[in-house]
Amino acid sequence: MARKSSGMQQASISEFFEKNKHFLGFDTLPRSIITAVKESVDNSLDAAEEHRILPDLDIEIRKVPGKKDELLLITRDNGPGITQKAISKVFGSLLFGSRFHTIRQTRGQQGIGITGVVMYSQLTTGKPTSVISKVAKEAGAVRVNIGLDTKKNKAIISNEKRFPIEETNEAKGLHWIGDHGIRIEARMKAKYQRGKQSVHQYLKMTSIVNPHASISFRAIDEDGSIIDEASWPRVTDELPRPVKDIKPHPHGLEIGTLQRLLRDAKPPTEGGGARTPLRYFLRDTFSSLSNTRCEEVIELAQLSATRKPGSLKPDDVNNLLAAFSKVRLPAPPTDCLSPIEDLLIKKGLSKAIDSRFVSTVTREPRVTNGNPFQVEVGLIFGGDLPGDQPIQVLRFANRVPLMYQQGGCLLTKALESVDWKRYGLDHPGGRGIPKGPAAVLIHLASTNVQFTSEAKEALADNVDVHDEIRLAMLEVGRGLRNHLKKQKQKAKAQEKFELVNIILPEIHDKAIAILEEEPLPLAPVITKIMNAVFIEEKVEWEAEGKLTRASIEIYNYTARPRAYTLLSTWPEREGVEMVDNPLGGRREAKGLWAWKLETMEPGTSTTVSFAVNGLSKGVWSEIDIFFRGAGDIIGATKLDEEILAEMLREEEAGVEHEDEDDVDSPEVVIDSAAVEESPTVIVNEENEEAAEPEQGWFGVGRGEEE
Amino acid sequence: MSVTQRKTTEEVVENLHGVAREMYKRMAKGEAPTMTLPVRTKNNIGFDKKLGVYKYGSKRSIRDATSLGSARQLLRALHIIEFIEEMIDSEKSSTLREMYYISEAWGHGKFGSQNESNNLAEDLEIVTKCLREDFKLRPEEDGARMIGNLTLNERNRRGEWMRINARDDVGDSGYGVPYNVESEKIELVEHDIDFIMAIETGGMFDRLVENGFDEDFRCGLLHLKGQPARSTRRILKRMNEEWNVPIIVFLDGDPWSFRIFASIAYGAIKTAHISEYLATPSAQYLGITADDIEAYDLPSDKLSSKDVEALKAELSDPRFADGWWQEQIQMMLSLDKKAEQQSLAKYGLDFVTDTYLPEKLAEIGLGP
Repeated sequence: MARKSSGMQQASISEFFEKNKHFLGFDTLPRSIITAVKESVDNSLDAAEEHRILPDLDIEIRKVPGKKDELLLITRDNGPGITQKAISKVFGSLLFGSRFHTIRQTRGQQGIGITGVVMYSQLTTGKPTSVISKVAKEAGAVRVNIGLDTKKNKAIISNEKRFPIEETNEAKGLHWIGDHGIRIEARMKAKYQRGKQSVHQYLKMTSIVNPHASISFRAIDEDGSIIDEASWPRVTDELPRPVKDIKPHPHGLEIGTLQRLLRDAKPPTEGGGARTPLRYFLRDTFSSLSNTRCEEVIELAQLSATRKPGSLKPDDVNNLLAAFSKVRLPAPPTDCLSPIEDLLIKKGLSKAIDSRFVSTVTREPRVTNGNPFQVEVGLIFGGDLPGDQPIQVLRFANRVPLMYQQGGCLLTKALESVDWKRYGLDHPGGRGIPKGPAAVLIHLASTNVQFTSEAKEALADNVDVHDEIRLAMLEVGRGLRNHLKKQKQKAKAQEKFELVNIILPEIHDKAIAILEEEPLPLAPVITKIMNAVFIEEKVEWEAEGKLTRASIEIYNYTARPRAYTLLSTWPEREGVEMVDNPLGGRREAKGLWAWKLETMEPGTSTTVSFAVNGLSKGVWSEIDIFFRGAGDIIGATKLDEEILAEMLREEEAGVEHEDEDDVDSPEVVIDSAAVEESPTVIVNEENEEAAEPEQGWFGVGRGEEE
Repeated sequence: MSVTQRKTTEEVVENLHGVAREMYKRMAKGEAPTMTLPVRTKNNIGFDKKLGVYKYGSKRSIRDATSLGSARQLLRALHIIEFIEEMIDSEKSSTLREMYYISEAWGHGKFGSQNESNNLAEDLEIVTKCLREDFKLRPEEDGARMIGNLTLNERNRRGEWMRINARDDVGDSGYGVPYNVESEKIELVEHDIDFIMAIETGGMFDRLVENGFDEDFRCGLLHLKGQPARSTRRILKRMNEEWNVPIIVFLDGDPWSFRIFASIAYGAIKTAHISEYLATPSAQYLGITADDIEAYDLPSDKLSSKDVEALKAELSDPRFADGWWQEQIQMMLSLDKKAEQQSLAKYGLDFVTDTYLPEKLAEIGLGP
């Protein structure tokens, strides 16, 4: 890739496009418009990000009157704009741009670029693409119409004009959002469609993984009526972290790459004079190699630290490569990656899809073949999602939606490798996409995304990435299972409550009315039917005061007085505090609060409630409740003191553990032998032959006797 | 005639109160209220030698209010009891379907489906040893129609007795049997017939009427309309007992017909609590038998998987335990064929009345 620089090669690429447009996303009419939108949106988002601008994007598609399958695409952004001189190069030449030789996560590495749109328009309608650009430092805007000479790989410029600021107005198309930006107008053979593979879906997906962008979209019919319209406002003002270029990491390097780097070695930046000792070469070429590590590598490879890189024989190169893999190295710097971060995934998903439950995971960055990558997964469940169909799979690479070739994609394969039945989804035969009212988002951020083909719609197999995705899936899967288990328990408890609070009193009233008898006390009957302690909890958003309030109600439906210490998880972190906690209690551990409750007489209940500020709506919706005390509580788990103690030790030692979202909630298994008076057992009968052991922080395998 | 003896309204109310009393007593003891009733499957029916019919055995199931579903059933039962008492007091009656709609107003006691309300009404019959006629609940199901030289008194809506001869006073569709055929509604006056033939399908009934079979063979014809309604089975039983005329059953030749016959002769599983009141143990199965299919070379259909399933279930049904039935069922299974009554038309419209029925009746000593 890095060596495609001569004019000859560039020209052949233009021809290549003409012959191979199907590889490049322009193979079918419906797909062509998606690809065109995609190229434009990717460029806009990348440019805005580089210039630290919060992007506003507007996309309009018009059916051209009287022409079958011809569309006019107008995209506008508030990005930095492009200077007049650069326009023809950006739009008229493949592989133009500053980012092709650097290692960094960008969206643009995935497409042929906006040039493709210009070419496609030219080839299908013969019309040039009109670009109007305004940069902040210039007073006016510039318009350039660009056609393309695909043989010479040169732009054909026409109709170039500069407009003073006062002349810019919407009617002339001389309009952008704010003081700077670009407007592109291209006319091409294409077909507008709705559905799973559509511009609408593409933009919706884009908005999920770009929560910092505002995107509006409309499609207009020949007669000017609106066919489709949508807008996705930004949900955060936080721009993605600025990404940095990095050097390659020694782990997983391929021999060819290493040979090339050795051959191209330049004089060292310090301490070496004209000669380039191997140790300086190593230190300066690769990331994560300190002086000490360089010496270690050279010693392991049995080479001399002062050898010239270019003089290494193939055996030496092999030894060097082997030595790399033997040394323990810090992971490559990951500031070259820009994960969305789980909180924003949660927001993005909640905004785009109505659901009951969201679980997200951002894994730590990892390295494969010397390239850092990071996996993020989000799972949403319930709400309006259809329950009898395969779940929706939303695939993304570097914040770009992947819409085609789902089956052949690494992301899909990793998803399918999980036994979803264990996590509460229907997964016939354990193969293929599971079914259920769920959607899964998978995002791979990487400096070097490997695709299966030039079409860049499916990710190529990679064991490291596969494993990371699988682990992330298991994590969100556990979250889902936990949620479903709770729902089930809740439903059962709900039934019991309805039974004793509504139906039983009605049976009583009817019976005494028919028999003309005196009323009976029902408390003993209720205790007999329930014979358990129940917990009902809810977490609710209070718009007024921007608080998230949790309330936990404990009912003693047993024949004996009960005393408990109740513990609840809460999202303890910086900027989040408990504000309204009438029962007081104390902090038991990070993210775990405890209240010692008064003894509850049979048939009575107690409420624990607290509010938390510093969170936005929907960020915190599930709590886990634990208890200390005799017997069992339906809806809560007996606290495992050993695990708590270990957790406190680690906290003291400063080992940071996953935050509350990732805590595996333990199974509620009621051991009836340990409980007096054989209470009603409400247990989830789930087969727990765990292949991966589940160890929650507070978890207990089985209720132990106090 | 212990259970067949009709109960006074006081007894009915007392028995219904017994159901509420069981719930009340349990609650007074601090226990979940319950309703005890016999298990209603073929595993819990047995032959009652004294009555000559199949009755529920001793297996009891207890429905207790420890689950939401059961608790709702108990509440519904109480609503029905209250509703029946109201109807008894106001001398009204209602159909089961009306009761289902009336339950809309019962809040948490309302029924999810009419099947639920029908079943619960049956549960109450069983527990209270009353009849749904005692409860003032009517089915919508159609009673049978009859033709033949037999005379009944029926009390009409104005409370007057009407004398009806089912040959001379009716049209071609015959006399319609009302839902209540108890003595307060129907009196059996006189007859001049040798037997009554109960027929499964309307087509065959009409064929025999058109061919004048009732006159030629001195018999009454009764159209069962498929699985016979309670009143149909009850009037067959009364005619059999009070007039001492044999009941001959002429059905299709398939597993479902066997069940229809069992419900006429031995009692249905669903109504085993009142078998002695509905079943006619001396009823005889005339045809179509499994060997008729072969002997008369009748046009037939292959058994469906459901048919086979039903036949296999019948093999273990105590009502079909005797040798002749076991043979018939096995034969049908091995033939893998079933035939309709009307397949006899293969040999012409008169074949059934000229040849088939005379031959079959002669076999059991009922020749013309």
